[in-house]
Amino acid sequence: MMKKFLTVSSWAACGSAMLISASFSTAAVADWPTKDVRLVVPYAPGGTTDVLSRRVADLLSDELDANVIVENRPGAGSTVGTGRLARGGRDADHTLLMASPGHTIGAAIYPNLSYDPVEDFTFIQNVIDIPNVMVVPADSPYHSVIEFIEAAQDQDMAFSHSGVGSSIHMSGELFKTLTGSKMTAVPFAGSGASLPALLGGDVDVSFENMPTVYSHIKSGDLRALAVTSEERSPYLPDVPTLSEIGEYNLDQFVTTAWFGLIAHNSFPEEGYDTLKAALDEVMERQEFLDFAEQLGAQPGQVEGEEFKQFVIDDLARWQEVAEQAGISQ
Amino acid sequence: MENFSEVLQLFLSIDNFIAIALGVVIGVTVGSIPGLTATMAVALALPFTFSMQPVAAILLLVGIYKGGMYGGSITAILIRTPGSPASACTLLDGYPMAQQGNAKKALKTALFSSVIADFISNIALIFFAAYLAKIALNFGAPEFFWLICFSLTIIISLASGSMVKGLLAALMGILLSLVGLDSVFGSQRLTFGNYNLMDSISFIPLLIGLFAIPEILEFYRKKIVPHIKAKASGAGMTLAELKRSLKSIIRGSLIGVLIGAIPGTGATAAAFISYSDARRRSPNKANFGKGEVEGVAAAEAGNNGVAGATLIPLLSLGIPGDVITAIILGAFMVHGLTPGPIMFQENLSLIYALFLGIMFSSLILLVVGNAAIKYFSLIADIPKSILFPIVLMFCVYGAYAVNNSTFDIWLMLVFGLVGYLFNRSGIPAAPFLIGFILGPMFEDNLRRSLLISHGDLSVFVRGPITWFFIALTFGSIAYALFKFFQERRAAGKDRQLES
Amino acid sequence: MSFSGPNVVKKIKDSLDFITGVILLVISLVLALYLVPNYIGEPPILQNPMMSPKWLPNIVSWLMFAFSILLILQGVLVHQDGENDERKLVKGPLRRFIIMLVAVLIYILFFESLGAIVTGILATVLLFLAHPVRTWWAYGFAIAFPVGVTLLFVNVMNVPLPLMPL
Repeated sequence: MMKKFLTVSSWAACGSAMLISASFSTAAVADWPTKDVRLVVPYAPGGTTDVLSRRVADLLSDELDANVIVENRPGAGSTVGTGRLARGGRDADHTLLMASPGHTIGAAIYPNLSYDPVEDFTFIQNVIDIPNVMVVPADSPYHSVIEFIEAAQDQDMAFSHSGVGSSIHMSGELFKTLTGSKMTAVPFAGSGASLPALLGGDVDVSFENMPTVYSHIKSGDLRALAVTSEERSPYLPDVPTLSEIGEYNLDQFVTTAWFGLIAHNSFPEEGYDTLKAALDEVMERQEFLDFAEQLGAQPGQVEGEEFKQFVIDDLARWQEVAEQAGISQ
Repeated sequence: MENFSEVLQLFLSIDNFIAIALGVVIGVTVGSIPGLTATMAVALALPFTFSMQPVAAILLLVGIYKGGMYGGSITAILIRTPGSPASACTLLDGYPMAQQGNAKKALKTALFSSVIADFISNIALIFFAAYLAKIALNFGAPEFFWLICFSLTIIISLASGSMVKGLLAALMGILLSLVGLDSVFGSQRLTFGNYNLMDSISFIPLLIGLFAIPEILEFYRKKIVPHIKAKASGAGMTLAELKRSLKSIIRGSLIGVLIGAIPGTGATAAAFISYSDARRRSPNKANFGKGEVEGVAAAEAGNNGVAGATLIPLLSLGIPGDVITAIILGAFMVHGLTPGPIMFQENLSLIYALFLGIMFSSLILLVVGNAAIKYFSLIADIPKSILFPIVLMFCVYGAYAVNNSTFDIWLMLVFGLVGYLFNRSGIPAAPFLIGFILGPMFEDNLRRSLLISHGDLSVFVRGPITWFFIALTFGSIAYALFKFFQERRAAGKDRQLES
Repeated sequence: MSFSGPNVVKKIKDSLDFITGVILLVISLVLALYLVPNYIGEPPILQNPMMSPKWLPNIVSWLMFAFSILLILQGVLVHQDGENDERKLVKGPLRRFIIMLVAVLIYILFFESLGAIVTGILATVLLFLAHPVRTWWAYGFAIAFPVGVTLLFVNVMNVPLPLMPL
């Protein structure tokens, strides 16, 4: 259906060149990309999303034989850049966006978004998953998640996060809601700023991204109590997942900082296929696997419709947490 | 050192030298274009470093960082357009100097003090990293809170002319800085539902608007002054001037080192603290803000002193103090290195090779900077009727480049109007800027302290660092009040004698 | 201070300060009484008044109010030295100023629709004409710079400036 519609519309646009394009139509559309591909990063240069996107863009350029240009459109979580993509426009068929938990959390906490976080987009591929790690300072009296929760039933714990609506913040709020612990969120401006508070013992716990704290866990300055992903991380094989602890409703606690490519919902199907094939190549390349390892991350698991369903579930969960924690404007 | 040869082997590679030189050149160029920041350049260069040797890769990024720190001062001095936030302080005296025909002197002063500060900062990084890192770790929210309080007191000394107007400017700056989403609750503050304002007002459009645009507006409002064809680029810095400023440069560098070692304060604050300290001590106090060599020197020393020192928490603790060091951290990790205590055990020779490279970058900065001055100072000779339209174009493009958004162009022009009105009513822009930078830090650390202590106020006097900054804060206020009334009395006596 | 005594001057000594003070007074009152209460969201429960998102804006607004009163008083009472008052401009022809405003408006209104190059050239040429610049070759700059800088931004620095309208 979709293919047919596109061919028809491109014929209409071609006008006099109709005859030529008729004979080459399959070859011409299969020729995606016909120009540079833009990869929109809805965050400022230098953040995790940006660094990751530049790496992926680099590898994708190779596989697609076309330039993949990273374009930063930061603002209001990730909602400014995402809203711009949702509006579509001239280059919508050659524009991708690196979505992250900001996509769903943003939709859960910002009011009156100009777009629908699910229906306005084509979901292509979840590229990388970074687990969060529940860490406490090395001299903390808590050696397991259960010990921590028991203490937190009557003692107020401070947890640091890198900004309202970050996956670190929302993980903390989710933990608080599920386990009924007493916890106070302490905001910092980015992970770099929150680390000293954790290392210095000013806060009791944090749910940091793996790459931020991995070296501190290894050096013994921080103690990892659990990881938030579904399965144990190969980088911290001795650290349990929160869901395997099971008690205090923790079996429902599975979150990662996920990163994935999405596009406008008018994205051509041919482009989708070509891109998908190129991404599969990228994700098998050694450079990519090495890069993922450096981040303590794992290649993404879901694609296409599955990815879409994943986003729908993620959104529903954060909406609930945001409501319970009262983070909604 | 037993593996000294290994260090040399790692360092003495032609790639490293190319990387440093290239980095510094890119940094100086990008830093000098309004709106293009060192942060952007570092982020753009990052993918290219993936395929390089680790030492060369890091040195390229560090080179850009350092070049950018200096590059910002060039346009600040020549066209009153700070290329980077940290150079906003440099223009207070740099631009008046250029207007008086001393563009070259101002640029040279900025360069020499940048290089000296950079050198001192590197020494601190190499020899005192472990010690300074310990201080950084003891710097929690309450300590930060008092540091910010102390920094706020410099508004008093920056409010030249009228204290009332200076404080009003600072208050307006604080209010504007609070626009956006609340950092604790995420609720909207004075955003009126506008998504462009939710991440608060962008700093660079504000900066360009406040300083560069009023200059252009005034030029077209004023009576035409015939362009005097003079060698406006003028003479360089004399040895006597360097000697006179040396104490301020060293003090500024040390301030920069301390602030750089504490993650999250930033070079802009360091520049202003160093500037106001130099002013307080100078016998030429009245000349500050009107084209004082020492003012340029102190400001640049403060902001360049930060550069090497921000690598301290990065290398020794694995904590990035700002966005640039966060990107550099990313570059380390791509090469399989994790900065922090472990790296000092496992990759010691690599660290020392890096140190050598970083030291060498100061020297490159001197050479590249000198060459840059030679050509850039010619800008001072271009008639304003040709220069200003092109500056305006740069400002518009640059404001857009920050967030790739047209909203920032409008923001810049609005602040241009604000700056123009400030000039017309004699409200100083510098305290406004300080308020804007420090306002959110003040509030965040206040609330953070209360959150950490669960509302217990004793957290604000919890240790020697807080006591030290409390003493400094109140001492600074008392000193300023004492001076204020002393001058008042003197002025009053004069007036009585006259009448 | 020496303002007591028989010769208290009733006249305002510095009208600019007085006017500035009044304007800031009005702004601070609008902030304190209207904007801060209505446009800052506050969570329902607060452990400490200092935690409120309204706390600092409130204090700052009222401080602004207090200092603008001081500025008004200063305007009424204190005479500024007139010699090197940087506030005053010797105004030039209005035509020039208006052309400059038009150039700024071009940037404001057409940057996105006409693209960076076209608006850049238009505004720069206008500003040259406003002065006016009489050296003809300078107009070459008015075209070369917008084109060159746009290409630099777009191709080297990866800044997606809006380009030609298509």
